[in-house]
Amino acid sequence: MAKEVVIDSLGEACPVPLVKAQNAIKEMEVGDVLILQIDHSCAMKNVPEWARKDGHNVEVEEVDDGEWEVIIEKC
Amino acid sequence: MPENNQATTTSSSGSIRRSSTRRPRKKKKNMIPFGVGLFVLIVLIGILLGQNNATVGLFWIFGVSFGFTLQKARFCFTASMRDPYLTGGTSLTRAVIIAFALTTIGFTAIKYGAYVKGLPIPGMSYVVPISAATVIGAFMFGIGMVIAGGCASGTLMRNGEGFMMQWLVLIFFIAGSLWGAHDFGWWKELFIANGPRVFLPDVFGWAGALALQLLVLAGLFIFATKYEQKKSA
Repeated sequence: MAKEVVIDSLGEACPVPLVKAQNAIKEMEVGDVLILQIDHSCAMKNVPEWARKDGHNVEVEEVDDGEWEVIIEKC
Repeated sequence: MPENNQATTTSSSGSIRRSSTRRPRKKKKNMIPFGVGLFVLIVLIGILLGQNNATVGLFWIFGVSFGFTLQKARFCFTASMRDPYLTGGTSLTRAVIIAFALTTIGFTAIKYGAYVKGLPIPGMSYVVPISAATVIGAFMFGIGMVIAGGCASGTLMRNGEGFMMQWLVLIFFIAGSLWGAHDFGWWKELFIANGPRVFLPDVFGWAGALALQLLVLAGLFIFATKYEQKKSA
């Protein structure tokens, strides 16, 4: 079954959620799902951009005012 | 690359499988009344400011428009300098280069227009001597802005968004600027005034200066594009 990794990056500024996501994706296998919780709008843009560039499936959900979950499935 | 043979495939929404670790969605307050109210307030303030001084009213409109554009586009000078190193992406870098190119054309037009009419060229006080101080200062600012998570425009924009860490950054931004302005005379005398003051149109002519600047920017743009392609290969 696909593993699910949840990373809580609430309150962290620009590069940190992206760096955490990058490191986590490296350790995951194809088909695993990474859920990144962010509340920084820069990250809401640059994490999906990076993930799509790397070829993963990405979805962004706004779960609350100013909080998002970026769901990345490793491909 | 071959699609993963598991059930999920790419599509727009809600297709990636995930387990039940969803946080329950809080009911969102309808924000539209706030939005309309704020818009009316902005227009009223603009009119009020414009009555005393038309220029200030114009500044208000420009300021609000810039902020809106910056926020919606998520334009970020800090990211433009940081992303090539961090993720290998140069889309923001190229956006900044385009912005510079447009500004160059616009300002050349304004200045040349004044020159041709024989009027004093606006903004000549910004042609300041260049020296190592510029390089060192820029480097320090770069380090600071990446750590702070934004430079001037980004910080102000995020303040408006309600990003509280940036409120702290704003306080120090003001404090630092005040301190710098207070001591600027000293810095200027000791380090900056010795450098050459170059106004490019004086050296290359108006057309030459414009062409040179745009060529350099175009070169940087191509370099940024190639950089991203190489990094994502």
